[in-house]
Amino acid sequence: MGVLFSYFKSLIGAREMRILILGLDGAGKTTILYRLQVGEVVTTIPTIGFNVEQVTYKNLKFQVWDLGGQTSIRPYWRCYYSNTDAIIYVVDSADKERMGISKDELFHMLREEELADAILVVLANKQDIPGCMSLKEVHQALGLEALKNRTFQIFKTSATKGEGLDMAMEWLANALKNRK
Amino acid sequence: MYTLLYGFYKYMVQKDEFCVLILGLDNAGKTTFLEAAKTKLTTNYNGIHPTKITTTVGLNIGKIDIGGIRLNFWDLGGQNELQSLWDKYYEESHAIIYIVDSSDRQRIEESKEIFDKMIASESLQGIPLLVLANKQDIPECMGVREVKPIFNKNAHLIGKRDCMVMPVSALTGFLQEARKEGVDEGIRWLVDCIKRNSYLRPPRNQEDT
Repeated sequence: MGVLFSYFKSLIGAREMRILILGLDGAGKTTILYRLQVGEVVTTIPTIGFNVEQVTYKNLKFQVWDLGGQTSIRPYWRCYYSNTDAIIYVVDSADKERMGISKDELFHMLREEELADAILVVLANKQDIPGCMSLKEVHQALGLEALKNRTFQIFKTSATKGEGLDMAMEWLANALKNRK
Repeated sequence: MYTLLYGFYKYMVQKDEFCVLILGLDNAGKTTFLEAAKTKLTTNYNGIHPTKITTTVGLNIGKIDIGGIRLNFWDLGGQNELQSLWDKYYEESHAIIYIVDSSDRQRIEESKEIFDKMIASESLQGIPLLVLANKQDIPECMGVREVKPIFNKNAHLIGKRDCMVMPVSALTGFLQEARKEGVDEGIRWLVDCIKRNSYLRPPRNQEDT
């Protein structure tokens, strides 16, 4: 009986995970998506609408949605919230001026009930740019200490160089597997 | 009428919620401990395997129902630059678990300094404190007898609050069903303290969350 049960459980476990990549325009969301999918840097143009790709990582299938981040299209993010397993929130670490806006958007998004169980990964992207904010500075600027009921991690990444993404995905894969 | 019944039902099944902060230097075993505790005290939960646990930069949460109350665990990153974020959580915490790597003699002093700095904080006054001498599975690690005096040096800072030092091995707690050393023992002790202390720091109001 137990075997049968765990078999069915594994079937549920094989479900495709739905992941949203969000963040302000120019943060590097599309670059990250394609870095994950094809493993190389592609030339991107500002996304109007969305890109969606299937990414396989460590036997886990992810359906990754990359939504456009421009001010005018941010209100449409919420149309994609239902059944989301995880959110990858991308921040441009070199863009100190818009950190506040990024924070507001993040918290605005996390207030949505549909995202109450979603795991959050924050990527402090563009770490290759000299003089960018450190992990701790990004953490503070985004006011992440206010998140008390949600598992989250913040990672340093450089999408163009491909650094840090592996670590972030590995953590996310484990967190999703063990979610309860 | 429905509201009344529902309210009554909610009142009956609702558990008081308390928050427990897990602190300590990086690589002390905070996340491993949390996973071991969750595995031990939650039915049908299989924790993240210890080999897959990476450095925490952010927050891991865990919920455990024990002794008629619900504990919310907050496991924070312990790296140097992240330590300044700890105090943001102090005011809402009902208990602290401080984890020490007993096998790392070189950093024990550093761990102690951070510990002193933490307990000196005013918002933690009177909050029960559990110090865990972790990694007892490693041969030649420091036993409780060695760790205890180090952390009890500043007794005046600890003051009247409940404080306890216990040995633990989060790792073997994980791997061997038979001997989960102290993983839940410490938490059970903490539950009693939290309940006793609840006049000073009442449970988190669930309506707000």
